[in-house]
Formats: sequence, C-alpha cells, structure tokens
Amino acid sequence: MNPKRTNPIIVIVLTLFSLACLIPFWLVFMISVADENWVTAHGYSFWPGKFSLVAYQYLIEDAEKILRAYSVSALVTVIGVVVSLFVTSAMAYALSRKEFPLRGALSFYILITMLFSGGLLPWYLVYTRFLHVQDTLMALIIPGLIGGFNVIIMRTFFTNSIPPSLIDSSQIDGAGEFRTYFSIILPLSLPVMATIGLFTTVSYWNDWFTSLVFIQNEKLFSLQYLLTKTLMNASFLQTIANKAYSSTAQVTTPLESIRMAMAMIAIGPLVLVFPFLQKYFVRGLTVGAVKG
Amino acid sequence: MKWLKKSSAVLASLMLTSAVAAGCGGNNASDTPAGSAQPDGAASSELKPYEVMMVFPDAPQKDNQLVQDAMNDYLKKTYPELNMTVKLNPIDWGAWSDKTNLMMASGDKMDLLFTADWLGFQQQVTKGGLLPLDDLLAKYGPDIEAVEKDYHEPAKRGGKLYGIHTHQELGGAQGVYLNKELVDKYNFDLTALKSGKVEDLEPMLKTVKENEPGITPLVAPSFPLEAYYSSTNLDSITSIAAINTVGTAPDDYTVINSFTTPRYMELAKLTNKWYKAGYINKDALTPGLDAWKKMQAGKGFAFVSDMDILADMEIGKADISPNGSIKAGREMLQIPLNIDRLQTGKMTATMYAISKSSEDPERAMKLLNLFYKDKELLTLFNFGIEGKHYVLKDGQIALPEGQTTDSVGYYHDIMWQLGNQMLNYTRVGEDPNKYKNYEKFNEKISSNRSRIFGFVFDPEPVKNELISIDNANKTFVDGLKSGQLDPEEVVPKMLEKQKTAGADKVIAEAQKQLDAWLKENSKK
Repeated sequence: MNPKRTNPIIVIVLTLFSLACLIPFWLVFMISVADENWVTAHGYSFWPGKFSLVAYQYLIEDAEKILRAYSVSALVTVIGVVVSLFVTSAMAYALSRKEFPLRGALSFYILITMLFSGGLLPWYLVYTRFLHVQDTLMALIIPGLIGGFNVIIMRTFFTNSIPPSLIDSSQIDGAGEFRTYFSIILPLSLPVMATIGLFTTVSYWNDWFTSLVFIQNEKLFSLQYLLTKTLMNASFLQTIANKAYSSTAQVTTPLESIRMAMAMIAIGPLVLVFPFLQKYFVRGLTVGAVKG
Repeated sequence: MKWLKKSSAVLASLMLTSAVAAGCGGNNASDTPAGSAQPDGAASSELKPYEVMMVFPDAPQKDNQLVQDAMNDYLKKTYPELNMTVKLNPIDWGAWSDKTNLMMASGDKMDLLFTADWLGFQQQVTKGGLLPLDDLLAKYGPDIEAVEKDYHEPAKRGGKLYGIHTHQELGGAQGVYLNKELVDKYNFDLTALKSGKVEDLEPMLKTVKENEPGITPLVAPSFPLEAYYSSTNLDSITSIAAINTVGTAPDDYTVINSFTTPRYMELAKLTNKWYKAGYINKDALTPGLDAWKKMQAGKGFAFVSDMDILADMEIGKADISPNGSIKAGREMLQIPLNIDRLQTGKMTATMYAISKSSEDPERAMKLLNLFYKDKELLTLFNFGIEGKHYVLKDGQIALPEGQTTDSVGYYHDIMWQLGNQMLNYTRVGEDPNKYKNYEKFNEKISSNRSRIFGFVFDPEPVKNELISIDNANKTFVDGLKSGQLDPEEVVPKMLEKQKTAGADKVIAEAQKQLDAWLKENSKK
C-alpha cells in the first residue's frame, strides 16, 4: 500500500464529512444574524442579503431568563458530571477486581439495564412517589448519574490497563482500598475519565426531557428545555390555530432568527469543552476498546 | 454450548425481571386512584375544605400564584358554602401530551382537565382516565345546561358524557384574505366571489403576477384543498371517510372516500395550474412557514384561511378583517367562501373533563359550573387582577400604563378554553361586539346542522387501517395541496395506495356505524 495514493481519497472523504457537519452550523449562524423580514421573504440562505443583530439584542434584553436557564444547565452539568464520574468509576473499579465476590451478578445486573428500560411510567413514579424530587434540581441530576454503558467501558479500562500487580504492590506498601483507589487508580485513569466525562457532559447539557417531565417551576428550566419548549410551543400553536380556535387566536411564532440565535448560544460550552478533552478522548476510546 | 446455556439463563431471568417490572407498573397505575379516592369521597358530604386542581395547557405565567390567591379570596367571599379553593396548574403546550399522560397513568391528583379530540380525548376515555359526567351535570351544572344543553351528543362515548364543551362560537367560516392596498390599486371587482367559488380569484392572481414582481399572488401554506375543500363539500367522519354534501340529496347518507369526489379533482387541478403559472410560492411546504408573516413583509396578495367572525357575514361579502388587519399590519379584506354547518368535531375541539383521580368530582363540577355563570371569576382566570394585570378602558381590557404583554406577569389568550366565553370582556383593539357577533353567528350555524351532527365514529375496529392510510397519504397529500404534483397522475396512485392500506374497510365500517346510528335516531 502506497500511502501517497490512499491519502487523497481519505482527505476528500474527510473533507466532505466535515463539510456536512459544518454547513448546517454555518446556516444556523447566518440565519441568526439575518434580517427577519429578509428571511421571511427569501427563505434560508447561506449569505443573507441583509444582516441584523436584532436577535442577539433581543436575547440580551431578555437575558434574565436565559442566564438563569444557562446557570441551571451549567450547575446541573458540573455537579452531575463530577458525581457521575465518582459513582461510575467506583462501581467500575469494584467490578474490575477479581477478588470481588458479587462481580458476576452485578455485571449481569448492569447488562440488563443496558438492554431493557423500566419504561416511562415506573421511571416517573420512582422519582415522584418514592424519592419525591420533582421540581428540584435533584430531579435533573439523579436520573443521569449512572449508565450501564459507561460502567462497562470503565471496567474494561481498569481491567486492561491497570496491572493487578500494581494494586498488590500498593497494598503491600500499606495502602488500604480507598487509598489505593484515590492515589493509584484515579490518577492513572485520566483518559477514560475524560472520555466518560465528555459523554456525561454532553448528555447532561443536552437533556431536556427530564425537565419536561419533572420541572414545573419556571426558574429551574434548563437551557435545552427552554429551547425545545420554544420550538414545540410554536408548532403546537399552529395546531391550535388549525384545530380548535382560529378566529382570534393571536398566534405568535418566535422569530426565526431568535430561534437560531438561541441555538448558537446553547452550543457554546460544548464547543469550548471539547478541544481541551480531545487528546484524552482519543486515547480513552482506544485504550478501553482493545481487549488484552 | 457453554454460550447457549449462559444465554438461555440470561433470557429466563430477563423475562422474569421484566414481568415483575410490568406487574409493578400496572398495579401502581390502577390502584392508586381508586385507593385514594374512596376515603375522601365518603367524607365529602360534610363539605370539608377542598382544593380543586385545574390542569390546562398554557405558557407559565409569572403571577400565577397571585391570581390563584385572588380567585380563592373571591371564592371564599362569594361562595362560602362551597368551601372550595382552586389550584391552577398550567402545563406548557409543548409538554402537554407527555405530561398529562404520565399524570393520568400514575394517578396524580387532577380534578378539572382541559381536553379535546386533538389532544387525545378518545384515548383518555378508552383508558378510563375520565369520569362520566351525566349525573354530576344534571345535579350541579344548571348554568352549563342553560347554554350548552343541545351540544352534548358529540362528547358522549358509549352513551355517557365525558366532556363539557366550552360555550363559544359553534363553527367558523373560511374564505380568502386580500391585501386591500392591491385590491384598490387594480380596482378589482370582488362581486365575482359571490359565487363562493375559489376559482373566481384567478383573474386577480393573474393581474398581480403580471404587474407586481416580488409579490406572491397566493400565499401558502393555506390552500383551497385544505381550508376550503372539506368544509364546503363534506361532512367528515374520519380520515378519508366522509359524506359528500354537494349535489346529493339531503337524506343521502352514503359514505364515500373524500378524495374521490369530482370537486376534489377540480380543485387539485386548479392548484396545480396555479402552481405552474407561478401564483403560489415555491417554498410552500417548508415547515414553520407563516402566511401572516409574508403578508406582514408585504410579499403577498391573497391567501385562503379561516375568517374573523363578524355578525353579518355572508358568502362573497367583502369586509375589513379586524384581527386580520392587526396580524398583517396592514388593511386586509376578508371574503368568506363558506360558513360552517354545525359539526360534531367542533363540539369536541374544546372541552373540560373531570379526571378519575379527582377526590371530589362533585365540587369539581360545581367549580366548572361557576365558570359558566360568574363573570368576575372567569375574568380573574382570563385576565388576572384588575389594576395589576389589566385596566378597563371603555369596557374593554387594556394593559396597565407602562406595561407590555411580557412584563405584566399575567397575560394569556386562552379565553377559548374555559367556561362561557360570551361572559368575557374583549381586549382593546378587538371588536367590542365580538361576543355579540358570536351569538348572532351561532344562530346562523346552529340552524344549519350537518347531516350527521351527533354521530361519533368509533375508530377502534379499523385502528390499524387508519394508520396505514395516514402513511399512504403522507407521500401525496402535501404535494397535491401545494400544487406541486399533477393530480391526473398522482390521485389514481394515491387511491390505489389507500385501497391497499384498507380504505374500503374503513368506509364500510363508517357506513355500518352510521347506519346503526341513523336507525337509533330514527332518521331512516
């Protein structure tokens, strides 16, 4: 295989792929800075004929709601990711130790949660009737804390990249289980932590459904829910206009450019987080994937 | 072999766990409401204080709590004998279906619940989530009966009433909106539209197309085939099943496929012709497109839609549209081409029901009844607290000085959801006679009943067919109504697909149920 010959094809494929990712992004951005009337008259365009920053201006004026949603999302994501990493890695670590007696049974239990879900209603009942966390931030944090898939990835990482002799030696040196875990295992597992951390960050940040189900208090809406809500309400209002009450309903769909500007704002943190974690991200995936 | 053994063990235990899980879920759902309802129901005769929980779709209002407190003060002062408070629980439109389904399935306490055929009324009844209301209504709903007595039939399922219709306009009118500026400029003759035929719009569209580049003559996404065809020609039953009311005898109850009438073909061809001539905007099917916004931007001349209700509306009579002009930000003419007959579907489009999880259905009904007679209570719910959320200007609702709809803390337009709408104030800018117009308009509509008013189709026997027909339609219907597809070629294809999907079975079932209903009501 001559690398010089295969390269152009790969380059073309990758270029097309990244274009496919970037173009919609560009379009969203352009609409967010386009003049509203121009968009209504001419439709979406990659280079609108008339620019305006009204959308962002409007968002800044209405900043209170968005900032609050932003901080809810940020708080939930930060707390969620930290706690989730701790819980997930603790569980995965226990499962990776051959001495652990319930290893098989617990792994099997985790497997079940990956294959089957309890269904929406039992899920809802657990949080509302048993834990009573509806309408609190806990309702946004708890449901995402642990995922079977993440536990399995971490377990594989621990089993394959941390030699059992290392644990033995630390224990010979007098470290207890917790000391071993915190001082030896965690520092060695930064790549997998970064990877799983990124997964959970994305899922916490993008989650709107738990807000929809559990949160009634407007002050606790997460940013993604605020966005989804705006869009869903718009489409629902059209249904109302069609089906129930058309003569005098004041149907106010939010302006196109404001919707897009909100999307731009929501992307922010993820775009910022990704480059910092990228180097670990790649390593984490490969390290976890190869079975030794 | 080892693998096989292992996996069968996995399978067995999985089945076990899922069975256990399913069992738990089921028990929870069915036990809780019954269990919690009984003790309180027994105690209600002593009329201990009760909080009626109202669940309805609305954007969250900042001052919800304040208005709720004001309503409770008022209830306490005016109706102390009811010993009742109210809890307003608005749920956002976008979250409505998910959330109410969960609340209903898990037996969360709800008393009064807004519902409609387009919000899953049928399923709520089938699942047993709603209480039959006949007895409650007879005992505690005299003021509801005073205005809605004749209109309960459509909300009955299996002979029992499950929803109470909001007292409001009984139908609508459809027609064309025209940009008045252009009508005046070209001096269009509007008398041609007296025929009620959308075809007569064509010469105007042509003129606009030729002389006004940059202006779309007929703005989508509202089309004749959608807003105009079925209301003028059909008494719809379900999906494709309908009765053709044009050119048939008044006692003709033959159920047909609504896509097979000659008129459908005529209108589809017309739309296709207009599309080809460039009268209709090319992006008609882009989701989220709003015709009013095009009008606002000054990029449109006409479109087909529902009309403002005016007292003396007549087919073909051009009037200034009060709300249309506000929405478009310029003077708009409206010309009705059809005025609805009294239809079953409209009566189930806005209702309140009482949930099975209600702990005191009697008081829920008493509260609902108050909304049909007590203007003050209804005003509190619709407009908030006087002086804080609204002020009265010449008998109309206005925002307090210096406030906007966003800043005032309680502003919503859901008058159409609850109670007797005729008791409501109008807002400044609206026709002060709006509700008087409604009453006049209602006389017109209720005197012109649909042939099958009161007949409710039970979709259960043909549920799967209805879904496949929906899917078959999806490929074609949008293209036809926007004029992008050639009907000569596509309509036969669509009918073929519908047939494969079970169209004949649906029509036969509709005919069977309709015949049974006619016999019961001795119409035949």
